[in-house]
Amino acid sequence: MTADGLEIRQSSASVWGSATELRNLKVVSKLIDTTTCIGCKACEVACQEWNDLHIVPTTQTGTYQTMPSLDANYWNLIKFREVEESGFFAWLLRKDGCMHCADPGCLKACPAPGAIVQYQNGIVDVNPEACIGCKMCETGCPFDIPRYSAKTDKMAKCTLCVDRVQVGLEPACVKACPTGCLEFGDKAELVAVAKARVEQLKQNGFTQAALYDPPGVGGTTVITVLAHGDHPEWYGLPKDPQVPVAVSLWKNVARPLAALAIAGSFFAMVAHYLSFGPKTPKEGAEKPKGDKPA
Amino acid sequence: MRSIPVADRRSGSGMGDAAMARARSTEDVVVGDEIVRERLSARVVHWIVALTFFVCLFTGLPIWTPYLGFLAHLFGGLHVCRILHPWAGVAFAVASVFMFVQWVSQMKLTKADREFITPKGMLRYFQYRNEDADVGKYNGGQKLLFWAAALGTVGLLITGLVIWFPLEFPQWVREASYLLHDAAFSLFFAMIIGHIYLGTAAEPGTFRSMIRGTVTKSWARLHHPRWYREVTGEKAGG
Repeated sequence: MTADGLEIRQSSASVWGSATELRNLKVVSKLIDTTTCIGCKACEVACQEWNDLHIVPTTQTGTYQTMPSLDANYWNLIKFREVEESGFFAWLLRKDGCMHCADPGCLKACPAPGAIVQYQNGIVDVNPEACIGCKMCETGCPFDIPRYSAKTDKMAKCTLCVDRVQVGLEPACVKACPTGCLEFGDKAELVAVAKARVEQLKQNGFTQAALYDPPGVGGTTVITVLAHGDHPEWYGLPKDPQVPVAVSLWKNVARPLAALAIAGSFFAMVAHYLSFGPKTPKEGAEKPKGDKPA
Repeated sequence: MRSIPVADRRSGSGMGDAAMARARSTEDVVVGDEIVRERLSARVVHWIVALTFFVCLFTGLPIWTPYLGFLAHLFGGLHVCRILHPWAGVAFAVASVFMFVQWVSQMKLTKADREFITPKGMLRYFQYRNEDADVGKYNGGQKLLFWAAALGTVGLLITGLVIWFPLEFPQWVREASYLLHDAAFSLFFAMIIGHIYLGTAAEPGTFRSMIRGTVTKSWARLHHPRWYREVTGEKAGG
Protein backbone atom coordinates (compact mmCIF):
# COMPACT_ATOMS: atom_id res chain seq x y z
CA MET A 1 0.00 0.00 0.00
CA THR A 2 1.13 3.51 -0.75
CA ALA A 3 2.87 5.44 2.02
CA ASP A 4 0.60 7.34 4.37
CA GLY A 5 -1.15 10.15 2.49
CA LEU A 6 0.51 9.38 -0.83
CA GLU A 7 -2.37 7.69 -2.54
CA ILE A 8 -3.08 9.75 -5.64
CA ARG A 9 -6.30 11.77 -5.50
CA GLN A 10 -5.91 13.37 -8.94
CA SER A 11 -3.45 12.81 -11.75
CA SER A 12 -2.92 14.93 -14.86
CA ALA A 13 -4.34 13.61 -18.15
CA SER A 14 -5.65 10.51 -16.39
CA VAL A 15 -9.10 9.19 -15.72
CA TRP A 16 -8.56 8.13 -12.15
CA GLY A 17 -5.94 8.43 -9.47
CA SER A 18 -5.12 5.54 -7.17
CA ALA A 19 -6.91 6.94 -4.14
CA THR A 20 -9.33 4.41 -2.67
CA GLU A 21 -10.52 6.78 0.02
CA LEU A 22 -10.91 3.69 2.15
CA ARG A 23 -8.54 5.05 4.73
CA ASN A 24 -9.14 8.15 6.76
CA LEU A 25 -6.08 10.13 5.74
CA LYS A 26 -5.53 13.65 6.93
CA VAL A 27 -5.04 16.62 4.66
CA VAL A 28 -1.91 18.53 5.51
CA SER A 29 -1.34 22.25 5.46
CA LYS A 30 1.39 24.84 5.75
CA LEU A 31 0.48 28.07 7.47
CA ILE A 32 2.35 31.24 6.52
CA ASP A 33 1.85 34.10 8.98
CA THR A 34 3.10 37.11 7.01
CA THR A 35 2.85 39.31 10.12
CA THR A 36 5.64 37.52 11.95
CA CYS A 37 7.95 36.97 8.99
CA ILE A 38 11.20 38.92 9.43
CA GLY A 39 12.53 38.29 5.90
CA CYS A 40 15.57 36.32 7.11
CA LYS A 41 15.35 33.93 4.14
CA ALA A 42 16.26 30.92 6.26
CA CYS A 43 13.41 29.11 4.45
CA GLU A 44 14.96 29.93 1.07
CA VAL A 45 18.29 28.44 2.14
CA ALA A 46 16.69 25.39 3.74
CA CYS A 47 14.71 24.76 0.55
CA GLN A 48 17.80 24.97 -1.64
CA GLU A 49 19.74 22.71 0.72
CA TRP A 50 17.14 20.02 1.29
CA ASN A 51 16.19 19.79 -2.39
CA ASP A 52 19.84 19.97 -3.50
CA LEU A 53 19.03 22.79 -5.90
CA HIS A 54 21.89 24.57 -7.61
CA ILE A 55 22.39 28.12 -6.47
CA VAL A 56 21.00 30.59 -8.99
CA PRO A 57 22.75 33.95 -9.44
CA THR A 58 20.93 36.56 -7.40
CA THR A 59 19.60 39.76 -8.93
CA GLN A 60 19.62 43.14 -7.21
CA THR A 61 16.31 44.87 -7.87
CA GLY A 62 16.57 47.59 -5.27
CA THR A 63 14.98 45.53 -2.49
CA TYR A 64 16.09 42.74 -0.19
CA GLN A 65 14.50 40.22 -2.55
CA THR A 66 16.88 37.51 -3.75
CA MET A 67 15.67 37.61 -7.36
CA PRO A 68 12.70 39.02 -9.28
CA SER A 69 10.67 35.81 -9.30
CA LEU A 70 10.74 32.06 -8.76
CA ASP A 71 12.98 29.85 -10.86
CA ALA A 72 13.10 26.18 -11.85
CA ASN A 73 16.03 26.08 -9.40
CA TYR A 74 14.47 28.31 -6.75
CA TRP A 75 11.12 27.20 -5.36
CA ASN A 76 10.80 29.40 -2.29
CA LEU A 77 11.19 33.17 -2.51
CA ILE A 78 10.45 35.86 0.05
CA LYS A 79 8.82 38.74 -1.78
CA PHE A 80 9.56 42.18 -0.36
CA ARG A 81 6.96 44.70 -1.44
CA GLU A 82 6.44 48.33 -0.56
CA VAL A 83 2.88 49.59 -0.75
CA GLU A 84 2.06 53.27 -0.70
CA GLU A 85 -1.54 54.38 -0.99
CA SER A 86 -3.01 57.78 -0.02
CA GLY A 87 -0.65 58.50 2.84
CA PHE A 88 -0.56 54.87 3.97
CA PHE A 89 2.69 52.95 3.72
CA ALA A 90 3.45 49.30 4.39
CA TRP A 91 6.47 47.09 3.90
CA LEU A 92 5.11 43.62 3.24
CA LEU A 93 6.96 40.33 3.20
CA ARG A 94 5.45 37.14 1.86
CA LYS A 95 6.91 33.72 1.20
CA ASP A 96 6.08 32.90 -2.43
CA GLY A 97 5.86 29.31 -3.64
CA CYS A 98 3.39 26.68 -4.70
CA MET A 99 0.03 26.98 -2.92
CA HIS A 100 -0.88 23.31 -3.53
CA CYS A 101 -4.47 24.09 -4.59
CA ALA A 102 -7.27 21.64 -3.91
CA ASP A 103 -8.33 22.30 -7.52
CA PRO A 104 -4.93 22.69 -9.23
CA GLY A 105 -4.97 24.59 -12.52
CA CYS A 106 -1.55 23.20 -13.44
CA LEU A 107 -2.79 19.63 -13.11
CA LYS A 108 -5.91 20.41 -15.12
CA ALA A 109 -3.92 21.96 -17.98
CA CYS A 110 -1.21 19.26 -18.04
CA PRO A 111 -1.48 16.85 -21.03
CA ALA A 112 1.08 14.30 -19.78
CA PRO A 113 -0.41 11.42 -17.81
CA GLY A 114 0.94 11.43 -14.26
CA ALA A 115 3.30 14.38 -14.70
CA ILE A 116 1.42 16.35 -12.06
CA VAL A 117 -0.30 14.46 -9.26
CA GLN A 118 -2.24 15.46 -6.20
CA TYR A 119 -1.86 13.15 -3.25
CA GLN A 120 -4.61 12.30 -0.85
CA ASN A 121 -2.92 14.57 1.72
CA GLY A 122 -3.33 17.58 -0.60
CA ILE A 123 0.24 17.96 -1.82
CA VAL A 124 0.54 18.68 -5.56
CA ASP A 125 3.70 17.03 -6.83
CA VAL A 126 5.58 16.90 -10.13
CA ASN A 127 6.95 13.74 -11.72
CA PRO A 128 9.81 14.90 -13.98
CA GLU A 129 9.94 11.52 -15.68
CA ALA A 130 6.44 12.00 -17.11
CA CYS A 131 6.77 15.76 -17.77
CA ILE A 132 7.06 16.60 -21.48
CA GLY A 133 8.09 20.24 -21.07
CA CYS A 134 5.07 21.75 -22.84
CA LYS A 135 4.62 24.59 -20.29
CA MET A 136 0.83 24.28 -20.28
CA CYS A 137 0.94 24.20 -16.46
CA GLU A 138 2.28 27.75 -16.50
CA THR A 139 -0.90 28.86 -18.26
CA GLY A 140 -3.09 26.79 -15.93
CA CYS A 141 -1.64 28.15 -12.68
CA PRO A 142 -3.39 31.24 -11.30
CA PHE A 143 -0.43 31.96 -8.98
CA ASP A 144 2.37 31.96 -11.59
CA ILE A 145 4.33 29.22 -9.83
CA PRO A 146 5.53 26.47 -12.22
CA ARG A 147 8.85 27.20 -13.84
CA TYR A 148 10.18 25.59 -17.02
CA SER A 149 13.84 24.67 -17.14
CA ALA A 150 15.31 24.68 -20.65
CA LYS A 151 18.24 22.67 -19.28
CA THR A 152 16.08 19.67 -18.37
CA ASP A 153 13.05 20.43 -20.58
CA LYS A 154 10.91 19.87 -17.48
CA MET A 155 8.77 21.89 -15.15
CA ALA A 156 9.77 22.33 -11.50
CA LYS A 157 8.13 23.78 -8.41
CA CYS A 158 7.81 23.33 -4.64
CA THR A 159 6.84 19.77 -3.69
CA LEU A 160 6.02 20.77 -0.12
CA CYS A 161 8.96 18.46 0.71
CA VAL A 162 6.76 15.45 0.07
CA ASP A 163 9.79 13.22 0.72
CA ARG A 164 10.01 14.62 4.25
CA VAL A 165 6.27 14.70 4.84
CA GLN A 166 5.81 11.03 3.95
CA VAL A 167 8.18 10.05 6.75
CA GLY A 168 6.48 12.31 9.26
CA LEU A 169 8.73 15.37 9.06
CA GLU A 170 7.74 18.96 8.39
CA PRO A 171 8.90 20.68 5.13
CA ALA A 172 12.46 22.07 5.23
CA CYS A 173 11.28 25.71 5.16
CA VAL A 174 9.10 25.16 8.22
CA LYS A 175 11.94 23.41 10.05
CA ALA A 176 14.26 26.37 9.41
CA CYS A 177 11.89 29.25 10.25
CA PRO A 178 13.23 31.00 13.40
CA THR A 179 10.15 33.07 14.27
CA GLY A 180 7.52 30.36 13.97
CA CYS A 181 5.71 32.22 11.25
CA LEU A 182 5.66 28.91 9.34
CA GLU A 183 3.72 26.00 10.77
CA PHE A 184 2.94 22.60 9.37
CA GLY A 185 0.22 20.11 10.33
CA ASP A 186 -3.33 19.00 9.85
CA LYS A 187 -5.28 21.49 7.74
CA ALA A 188 -8.33 21.71 10.00
CA GLU A 189 -6.10 22.36 13.03
CA LEU A 190 -4.00 24.98 11.25
CA VAL A 191 -7.07 26.81 9.97
CA ALA A 192 -8.15 27.14 13.62
CA VAL A 193 -4.69 28.46 14.59
CA ALA A 194 -4.79 30.93 11.69
CA LYS A 195 -8.28 32.15 12.62
CA ALA A 196 -7.18 32.78 16.21
CA ARG A 197 -4.21 34.74 14.88
CA VAL A 198 -6.51 36.79 12.62
CA GLU A 199 -8.69 37.64 15.66
CA GLN A 200 -5.60 38.71 17.55
CA LEU A 201 -4.53 40.96 14.65
CA LYS A 202 -7.99 42.52 14.52
CA GLN A 203 -7.78 43.34 18.22
CA ASN A 204 -4.35 44.88 17.61
CA GLY A 205 -5.84 47.31 15.10
CA PHE A 206 -5.51 45.39 11.84
CA THR A 207 -9.27 45.29 11.35
CA GLN A 208 -9.01 43.95 7.78
CA ALA A 209 -6.81 41.00 8.77
CA ALA A 210 -7.87 37.76 7.07
CA LEU A 211 -6.90 34.22 6.25
CA TYR A 212 -6.07 33.65 2.58
CA ASP A 213 -7.49 30.25 1.61
CA PRO A 214 -9.09 31.15 -1.75
CA PRO A 215 -12.30 29.18 -2.49
CA GLY A 216 -11.94 29.80 -6.24
CA VAL A 217 -9.37 26.99 -6.39
CA GLY A 218 -11.13 24.89 -3.77
CA GLY A 219 -8.93 26.26 -1.02
CA THR A 220 -5.18 25.84 -0.81
CA THR A 221 -2.92 23.56 1.18
CA VAL A 222 -0.66 26.53 1.88
CA ILE A 223 -2.75 29.05 3.80
CA THR A 224 -1.63 32.60 4.51
CA VAL A 225 -2.48 35.09 7.27
CA LEU A 226 -2.56 38.63 5.88
CA ALA A 227 -2.72 41.76 8.06
CA HIS A 228 -4.27 43.57 5.11
CA GLY A 229 -6.63 40.78 4.14
CA ASP A 230 -8.77 43.10 2.02
CA HIS A 231 -5.80 43.71 -0.28
CA PRO A 232 -4.15 40.36 -1.13
CA GLU A 233 -2.80 42.03 -4.28
CA TRP A 234 -0.54 44.16 -2.04
CA TYR A 235 1.23 40.89 -1.26
CA GLY A 236 1.33 39.81 -4.89
CA LEU A 237 -1.57 37.41 -4.44
CA PRO A 238 -4.55 37.36 -6.84
CA LYS A 239 -7.76 38.60 -5.23
CA ASP A 240 -9.96 35.74 -6.44
CA PRO A 241 -7.78 33.09 -8.10
CA GLN A 242 -9.55 30.62 -10.39
CA VAL A 243 -8.48 27.87 -12.72
CA PRO A 244 -8.48 29.92 -15.96
CA VAL A 245 -11.92 29.69 -17.60
CA ALA A 246 -10.26 28.96 -20.93
CA VAL A 247 -8.51 25.91 -19.48
CA SER A 248 -11.79 24.48 -18.17
CA LEU A 249 -13.54 25.38 -21.42
CA TRP A 250 -10.78 23.78 -23.43
CA LYS A 251 -10.71 20.53 -21.48
CA ASN A 252 -14.40 20.17 -20.60
CA VAL A 253 -16.22 21.73 -23.56
CA ALA A 254 -13.96 22.26 -26.58
CA ARG A 255 -12.42 18.79 -26.39
CA PRO A 256 -15.68 16.80 -26.32
CA LEU A 257 -17.09 19.02 -29.08
CA ALA A 258 -13.97 18.43 -31.18
CA ALA A 259 -14.25 14.68 -30.63
CA LEU A 260 -17.88 14.86 -31.74
CA ALA A 261 -16.96 16.80 -34.89
CA ILE A 262 -14.28 14.27 -35.85
CA ALA A 263 -16.37 11.20 -35.06
CA GLY A 264 -19.38 12.85 -36.72
CA SER A 265 -17.46 13.41 -39.93
CA PHE A 266 -16.21 9.82 -39.93
CA PHE A 267 -19.62 8.27 -39.33
CA ALA A 268 -21.28 10.60 -41.82
CA MET A 269 -18.93 9.31 -44.52
CA VAL A 270 -19.59 5.68 -43.55
CA ALA A 271 -23.34 6.35 -43.60
CA HIS A 272 -23.02 8.05 -46.98
CA TYR A 273 -21.15 5.13 -48.48
CA LEU A 274 -23.69 2.65 -47.14
CA SER A 275 -26.66 4.62 -48.49
CA PHE A 276 -25.29 5.98 -51.78
CA GLY A 277 -22.23 3.92 -52.59
CA PRO A 278 -19.59 5.08 -55.04
CA LYS A 279 -20.42 7.57 -57.75
CA THR A 280 -20.00 5.91 -61.13
CA PRO A 281 -21.18 6.76 -64.66
CA LYS A 282 -24.74 5.80 -65.51
CA GLU A 283 -25.64 2.57 -67.22
CA GLY A 284 -24.60 2.64 -70.84
CA ALA A 285 -21.90 5.23 -70.37
CA GLU A 286 -18.24 4.30 -70.44
CA LYS A 287 -17.00 2.61 -67.28
CA PRO A 288 -14.61 4.76 -65.20
CA LYS A 289 -11.99 2.00 -65.19
CA GLY A 290 -9.77 2.13 -68.24
CA ASP A 291 -6.29 1.92 -66.74
CA LYS A 292 -5.28 0.93 -70.24
CA PRO A 293 -5.79 3.39 -73.06
CA ALA A 294 -8.19 1.99 -75.67
CA MET B 1 13.38 -16.98 -68.26
CA ARG B 2 12.66 -13.99 -70.43
CA SER B 3 12.65 -10.71 -68.55
CA ILE B 4 9.97 -8.22 -69.42
CA PRO B 5 10.83 -4.53 -69.15
CA VAL B 6 8.75 -2.71 -66.54
CA ALA B 7 7.34 -0.35 -69.14
CA ASP B 8 6.09 -3.26 -71.23
CA ARG B 9 4.31 -4.85 -68.32
CA ARG B 10 2.43 -1.66 -67.67
CA SER B 11 1.15 -0.70 -71.08
CA GLY B 12 2.16 -3.50 -73.40
CA SER B 13 3.29 -0.94 -75.93
CA GLY B 14 6.99 -0.93 -75.18
CA MET B 15 6.82 2.85 -74.96
CA GLY B 16 6.16 3.15 -71.23
CA ASP B 17 2.97 4.72 -69.98
CA ALA B 18 2.58 7.65 -72.32
CA ALA B 19 0.03 9.51 -70.16
CA MET B 20 2.13 9.14 -67.06
CA ALA B 21 5.18 10.36 -68.91
CA ARG B 22 3.32 13.45 -70.05
CA ALA B 23 2.11 13.99 -66.46
CA ARG B 24 5.68 14.56 -65.32
CA SER B 25 5.64 18.09 -66.64
CA THR B 26 2.23 18.85 -68.11
CA GLU B 27 -1.40 18.75 -67.15
CA ASP B 28 -4.79 19.25 -68.84
CA VAL B 29 -3.79 17.29 -71.95
CA VAL B 30 -5.45 14.26 -73.52
CA VAL B 31 -3.32 11.16 -74.04
CA GLY B 32 -5.25 8.32 -75.65
CA ASP B 33 -8.19 7.51 -73.38
CA GLU B 34 -6.68 9.36 -70.44
CA ILE B 35 -6.42 12.97 -69.41
CA VAL B 36 -3.46 14.31 -67.45
CA ARG B 37 -4.91 16.05 -64.37
CA GLU B 38 -2.09 16.73 -61.92
CA ARG B 39 1.53 17.20 -62.93
CA LEU B 40 4.29 15.50 -60.95
CA SER B 41 5.30 18.58 -58.97
CA ALA B 42 1.72 19.17 -57.86
CA ARG B 43 1.40 15.57 -56.68
CA VAL B 44 4.70 15.67 -54.79
CA VAL B 45 3.71 18.88 -53.00
CA HIS B 46 0.30 17.39 -52.16
CA TRP B 47 1.85 14.29 -50.62
CA ILE B 48 4.41 16.25 -48.63
CA VAL B 49 1.53 18.28 -47.19
CA ALA B 50 -0.36 15.05 -46.47
CA LEU B 51 2.62 13.37 -44.81
CA THR B 52 3.42 16.32 -42.58
CA PHE B 53 -0.28 16.66 -41.79
CA PHE B 54 -0.42 13.11 -40.51
CA VAL B 55 2.80 13.49 -38.50
CA CYS B 56 1.23 16.58 -36.90
CA LEU B 57 -2.02 14.71 -36.34
CA PHE B 58 -0.54 11.59 -34.78
CA THR B 59 1.91 13.51 -32.59
CA GLY B 60 -0.81 15.98 -31.60
CA LEU B 61 -3.63 13.57 -30.77
CA PRO B 62 -1.89 11.87 -27.80
CA ILE B 63 -1.12 15.33 -26.36
CA TRP B 64 -4.72 16.35 -27.00
CA THR B 65 -6.28 13.48 -25.05
CA PRO B 66 -4.89 10.58 -23.00
CA TYR B 67 -7.47 8.31 -24.63
CA LEU B 68 -5.32 8.44 -27.77
CA GLY B 69 -2.08 8.18 -25.79
CA PHE B 70 -1.24 4.91 -27.52
CA LEU B 71 -0.39 6.90 -30.66
CA ALA B 72 2.61 8.34 -28.81
CA HIS B 73 4.27 4.93 -29.01
CA LEU B 74 4.48 5.33 -32.80
CA PHE B 75 7.05 8.04 -32.25
CA GLY B 76 8.81 6.90 -29.08
CA GLY B 77 6.70 8.47 -26.37
CA LEU B 78 4.82 11.61 -25.50
CA HIS B 79 7.92 13.71 -24.91
CA VAL B 80 9.11 12.92 -28.45
CA CYS B 81 5.67 13.91 -29.74
CA ARG B 82 5.90 17.21 -27.90
CA ILE B 83 9.26 17.96 -29.52
CA LEU B 84 8.32 16.62 -32.98
CA HIS B 85 4.86 18.19 -33.25
CA PRO B 86 5.86 21.85 -33.62
CA TRP B 87 8.61 21.08 -36.15
CA ALA B 88 6.24 18.90 -38.17
CA GLY B 89 3.83 21.82 -37.95
CA VAL B 90 6.41 24.17 -39.42
CA ALA B 91 7.10 21.68 -42.23
CA PHE B 92 3.36 21.38 -42.83
CA ALA B 93 2.96 25.15 -43.01
CA VAL B 94 5.91 25.54 -45.40
CA ALA B 95 4.66 22.73 -47.66
CA SER B 96 1.19 24.29 -47.54
CA VAL B 97 2.61 27.56 -48.85
CA PHE B 98 3.93 25.74 -51.92
CA MET B 99 0.57 24.00 -52.35
CA PHE B 100 -1.25 27.32 -52.02
CA VAL B 101 0.92 28.97 -54.65
CA GLN B 102 0.58 26.11 -57.13
CA TRP B 103 -3.22 25.97 -56.98
CA VAL B 104 -4.42 29.42 -55.97
CA SER B 105 -4.94 30.65 -59.55
CA GLN B 106 -7.32 27.72 -60.22
CA MET B 107 -9.32 28.18 -57.04
CA LYS B 108 -11.32 31.35 -57.73
CA LEU B 109 -14.94 30.70 -56.88
CA THR B 110 -17.26 31.17 -59.86
CA LYS B 111 -20.99 31.81 -59.65
CA ALA B 112 -21.63 28.10 -60.25
CA ASP B 113 -19.17 27.22 -57.44
CA ARG B 114 -21.00 29.52 -55.05
CA GLU B 115 -24.21 27.66 -55.80
CA PHE B 116 -22.39 24.35 -55.44
CA ILE B 117 -21.27 25.11 -51.89
CA THR B 118 -24.67 26.18 -50.60
CA PRO B 119 -26.25 23.55 -48.31
CA LYS B 120 -28.69 22.77 -51.12
CA GLY B 121 -25.91 22.41 -53.64
CA MET B 122 -23.85 20.18 -51.35
CA LEU B 123 -26.89 18.00 -50.71
CA ARG B 124 -27.41 17.61 -54.47
CA TYR B 125 -23.75 16.70 -54.82
CA PHE B 126 -23.77 14.08 -52.07
CA GLN B 127 -27.01 12.61 -53.42
CA TYR B 128 -25.47 12.35 -56.90
CA ARG B 129 -28.15 14.63 -58.36
CA ASN B 130 -25.78 17.18 -59.87
CA GLU B 131 -25.04 15.54 -63.22
CA ASP B 132 -25.61 18.62 -65.33
CA ALA B 133 -23.64 20.89 -63.03
CA ASP B 134 -21.30 23.38 -64.66
CA VAL B 135 -18.18 21.95 -62.99
CA GLY B 136 -14.69 22.92 -64.15
CA LYS B 137 -11.40 21.29 -63.19
CA TYR B 138 -12.18 21.77 -59.51
CA ASN B 139 -15.70 21.83 -58.13
CA GLY B 140 -16.97 24.29 -55.55
CA GLY B 141 -16.39 21.83 -52.72
CA GLN B 142 -12.78 21.33 -53.70
CA LYS B 143 -12.26 25.08 -53.84
CA LEU B 144 -13.92 25.46 -50.48
CA LEU B 145 -11.56 22.82 -49.07
CA PHE B 146 -8.62 24.71 -50.55
CA TRP B 147 -9.57 28.01 -48.91
CA ALA B 148 -10.59 26.39 -45.63
CA ALA B 149 -7.27 24.52 -45.51
CA ALA B 150 -5.37 27.74 -46.19
CA LEU B 151 -7.24 29.60 -43.47
CA GLY B 152 -6.96 26.65 -41.07
CA THR B 153 -3.23 26.35 -41.67
CA VAL B 154 -2.69 30.03 -40.89
CA GLY B 155 -4.78 29.65 -37.73
CA LEU B 156 -2.98 26.50 -36.65
CA LEU B 157 0.41 28.08 -37.33
CA ILE B 158 -0.26 31.25 -35.35
CA THR B 159 -1.87 29.52 -32.37
CA GLY B 160 0.75 26.78 -32.61
CA LEU B 161 3.59 29.28 -32.32
CA VAL B 162 1.97 30.72 -29.20
CA ILE B 163 1.63 27.22 -27.71
CA TRP B 164 5.24 26.45 -28.67
CA PHE B 165 6.60 29.58 -26.97
CA PRO B 166 3.88 30.39 -24.41
CA LEU B 167 6.08 32.40 -22.08
CA GLU B 168 6.60 35.05 -24.77
CA PHE B 169 2.87 35.85 -24.85
CA PRO B 170 0.35 37.29 -22.39
CA GLN B 171 -1.94 34.94 -20.50
CA TRP B 172 -5.09 35.71 -22.51
CA VAL B 173 -3.31 35.07 -25.82
CA ARG B 174 -2.13 31.67 -24.57
CA GLU B 175 -5.57 30.74 -23.30
CA ALA B 176 -7.20 31.76 -26.60
CA SER B 177 -4.55 29.84 -28.54
CA TYR B 178 -5.17 26.55 -26.75
CA LEU B 179 -8.88 26.86 -27.50
CA LEU B 180 -8.46 27.98 -31.11
CA HIS B 181 -5.79 25.38 -31.91
CA ASP B 182 -8.20 22.75 -30.63
CA ALA B 183 -11.13 24.11 -32.66
CA ALA B 184 -9.06 24.60 -35.82
CA PHE B 185 -7.51 21.14 -35.71
CA SER B 186 -10.79 19.33 -35.12
CA LEU B 187 -12.54 21.11 -38.00
CA PHE B 188 -9.49 20.55 -40.19
CA PHE B 189 -9.39 16.84 -39.36
CA ALA B 190 -13.15 16.46 -39.88
CA MET B 191 -12.74 18.11 -43.28
CA ILE B 192 -9.80 15.89 -44.23
CA ILE B 193 -11.83 12.78 -43.37
CA GLY B 194 -14.35 13.94 -45.96
CA HIS B 195 -11.56 14.77 -48.41
CA ILE B 196 -10.03 11.29 -48.15
CA TYR B 197 -13.42 9.61 -48.47
CA LEU B 198 -14.38 11.55 -51.59
CA GLY B 199 -10.95 11.02 -53.12
CA THR B 200 -11.04 7.25 -52.66
CA ALA B 201 -14.13 5.18 -51.85
CA ALA B 202 -16.85 7.62 -52.90
CA GLU B 203 -15.49 8.46 -56.34
CA PRO B 204 -13.59 5.58 -57.95
CA GLY B 205 -10.95 6.76 -60.37
CA THR B 206 -10.12 9.89 -58.38
CA PHE B 207 -7.22 8.62 -56.29
CA ARG B 208 -5.10 7.84 -59.36
CA SER B 209 -5.14 11.53 -60.26
CA MET B 210 -2.93 12.08 -57.22
CA ILE B 211 -0.85 8.92 -57.80
CA ARG B 212 -0.34 8.61 -61.57
CA GLY B 213 -1.53 12.12 -62.31
CA THR B 214 -4.06 10.88 -64.85
CA VAL B 215 -7.78 10.20 -64.99
CA THR B 216 -9.97 8.50 -67.56
CA LYS B 217 -12.09 10.46 -69.97
CA SER B 218 -15.26 8.93 -68.56
CA TRP B 219 -14.23 9.99 -65.06
CA ALA B 220 -13.66 13.56 -66.22
CA ARG B 221 -16.98 13.62 -68.06
CA LEU B 222 -18.81 12.45 -64.95
CA HIS B 223 -17.17 14.60 -62.29
CA HIS B 224 -15.82 17.64 -64.14
CA PRO B 225 -17.87 18.03 -67.34
CA ARG B 226 -16.81 21.59 -68.15
CA TRP B 227 -13.13 20.72 -67.66
CA TYR B 228 -13.68 17.67 -69.87
CA ARG B 229 -15.11 19.85 -72.64
CA GLU B 230 -12.30 22.39 -72.31
CA VAL B 231 -9.56 19.76 -72.47
CA THR B 232 -11.02 17.54 -75.18
CA GLY B 233 -13.02 20.02 -77.21
CA GLU B 234 -15.88 17.50 -77.15
CA LYS B 235 -19.47 18.12 -76.21
CA ALA B 236 -20.75 16.89 -72.86
CA GLY B 237 -22.11 13.38 -72.96
CA GLY B 238 -20.48 12.82 -76.34
